[in-house]
Amino acid sequence: MIRKLIPFLVVLLLCGPALAEDTVCVQCHSGQEGRLGAPVALWKTSIHAANGIACHDCHGGDPTDFGMAMDPSKGFIGAPEYADVPAFCGRCHLGVREDYEGSAHGKALKHGGPQCVMCHGNHAVQKASIELINEQSCTRCHSYDRAAKVKGAISQTEASLQRLEGQLVELHRSGIDTEKISGQLFATRNDFRRLFHTVNVEEIEVETAGFATRLGKVDAQIVGIKDELSQRKMVGGLVVLLLLAAGCIAMLIRKSYHDEE
Amino acid sequence: MNLPKLAVDWLDNRLGIKDLIYQNMGGYKLPKNVNIWYTMGSVVMALLGLQFLTGILLLVYYVPDTDKAFTSVTAIMNDVPYGWLFRYLHIVGSNLIIIFMLLHMMSVLFMGSYKRPRELTWVSGFTLLNLGMVFCLTGYLLPWSQLSFWATTVATDAAGAVPFVGEYVVAFLRGGPSVGAATLGRFFALHVMVLPLGLMGLVGFHLFCVRRAGISQPPFGDSYKPRSFGEGFEHEHHPDGVPFHPNYTIKDLSIIFFALAALVAISFYAPRLFIPPEALVPADPFNTPEHIKPEWYFLWAYQTLKIFPSKLLGLAAQVAAMTFIALLPFIDYGSERRPFKRPLFLTCFFLGTLLFVGLSFWGHYS
Amino acid sequence: MSDISESNQQRRTFLGILLGGVGVVLAGVLAWPIFRFLAPRESGGEGAQVRVSKAEVKVGGAYFFSFQGRPAVLLQPSAGTFVALSAVCTHLGCIVKWVEDKGEFLCPCHGGRFSTDGAVLGGPPPKALTTYSVNIENTDLVVG
Repeated sequence: MIRKLIPFLVVLLLCGPALAEDTVCVQCHSGQEGRLGAPVALWKTSIHAANGIACHDCHGGDPTDFGMAMDPSKGFIGAPEYADVPAFCGRCHLGVREDYEGSAHGKALKHGGPQCVMCHGNHAVQKASIELINEQSCTRCHSYDRAAKVKGAISQTEASLQRLEGQLVELHRSGIDTEKISGQLFATRNDFRRLFHTVNVEEIEVETAGFATRLGKVDAQIVGIKDELSQRKMVGGLVVLLLLAAGCIAMLIRKSYHDEE
Repeated sequence: MNLPKLAVDWLDNRLGIKDLIYQNMGGYKLPKNVNIWYTMGSVVMALLGLQFLTGILLLVYYVPDTDKAFTSVTAIMNDVPYGWLFRYLHIVGSNLIIIFMLLHMMSVLFMGSYKRPRELTWVSGFTLLNLGMVFCLTGYLLPWSQLSFWATTVATDAAGAVPFVGEYVVAFLRGGPSVGAATLGRFFALHVMVLPLGLMGLVGFHLFCVRRAGISQPPFGDSYKPRSFGEGFEHEHHPDGVPFHPNYTIKDLSIIFFALAALVAISFYAPRLFIPPEALVPADPFNTPEHIKPEWYFLWAYQTLKIFPSKLLGLAAQVAAMTFIALLPFIDYGSERRPFKRPLFLTCFFLGTLLFVGLSFWGHYS
Repeated sequence: MSDISESNQQRRTFLGILLGGVGVVLAGVLAWPIFRFLAPRESGGEGAQVRVSKAEVKVGGAYFFSFQGRPAVLLQPSAGTFVALSAVCTHLGCIVKWVEDKGEFLCPCHGGRFSTDGAVLGGPPPKALTTYSVNIENTDLVVG
């Protein structure tokens, strides 16, 4: 499933906004002021917009019908209450929701604990990164000590994920079919990101070894491909030298005739 | 008993092949001062031969179907042993052929070799250059990538500027209102059957013209005198010249080896030069990628279309320029071939080259 | 003059041999990828087993399937006995047909006839059809 999704996502990344921007939601709200108009501009900068996820994908309603766009009978939800946000986002981000709900954060939700939007923002949501864990953000509720430990525990795996993703992009650019490996990496990343949402240092540390193994497998495949690519270059270089040698020999023969002409 | 000798003698007794070989090899005399530019045609022929080989190999695994073309090319690149090699050689080879054809043409222009009696050689050669570009254009579509799809859409769309029948011409080229399965079908047929046959025939005619007229004396040095040709047919003889074989064939061979070295070097170290990122994404008829640009040898035409206020004017300018070059030997018919005795021509030659290069760069960076 | 031309001749012979040598190596370097490109990549799955549901093979009927890249056939001559045979006639490689009325195979090309255990009953085939082992695993038959 995920494997099939990746090329699709890539295409969406390239061209998605053009599709999503034409909804009636955007047409009306972009002309409005304040609270009702602001989300349009914010959304346009988001990873959701980049992946073609538009207003109605979260808020429901009919994006093609001006009159009925915000009718509850068309599935319009509007803005969720504070405590309903995890369920709202979790309709798509299922795994993360599950691990969040079991976490100290999730259990504190009833008592005003943090939900998705606190850290990720809402309409202008960006690609998640480890930098979302920072002193300024975490100390809004509690001391940074524990958060710093969580960040420490995930930083190495996060760095490996980033590095491998970059290498896969590079291999794809060289004409290598990375679909299968990308799928493996994508699945690993998703599992790891949901694990982080338990915000449980002990659990993260226990599971990290398993992720290291999974990433190691991806890494080994990438190294294998890279080795083959550099081997090709070696052989190619030899052939070039042989061809140049042949050209020079022929030129010398030509010269011997030239001396006689 | 010497079997090969017996076989040759047997053939010779019936077809006179020894005489034929002698006349076209050792006895075929070239001017003493032929230069390196006279090898360009041989280089193009060698590269064309390699294109036939790699093309036939790719044809073994390629599937001309809009649903399967991209997957089959991906399989050639990743699953078939050495598929990547033959595909890269084919792509890089096509670009090198255009480069060497342009060099061939420019040297012929500079030395005025297109002049009487070689008008037909010129016209057939210029047609071959255009055939080469149509080859590239049709081959471009086959992998059915984003690049294939949109480059073809834009290229065929240009024909829409023709007055009255433009829309129909576009539809005819595409086999439908937009690029699709019908376009792939006809471009595939053109690329693997019609164009190769046409090319072989035209190369044959070109060589026939070259052989009949004889090799032109390079217009350099004190010994060169402009020739005037009478009414009748006259082969340009060089009785005290150098034999074509082996004296000159070995030079051809040497330059061919150097060209192949360039081909292999680019194929192994810099194939990306000719493969933009859009070529790695499957075609999607509903999403135009940003910054789509034609191949380098079409950039001049692309930029011309952008400069002119209307597409029709742009297209007319292109057609006029191409027609002018095609008919050059009939327009520039004086017998003088020495470049420095033809200041007007030389100025046009350099300005024209500059215009081509300038428009191409402009098109690339705009 | 003749001295020069003689030494040139020797140089040319030497260089010619050298060029020929490099040419042979280059030809080999080109020929090997072409051979690998065209060489079959699938052996047809040597040693691969095929699993067929028992229900597919009726008593007195025949079930044709692909085994290791070649056509094969499963029979149940009497209830509970299963036989797997190559379906390729040993004469010229046509695929044999099952004649249910007679309980034997007939090759449509030149009339070769085979029994349910693969033995030649008549016609031009030089030898019997190859038999494969069949194991019963629950409701499945495993061939190979």
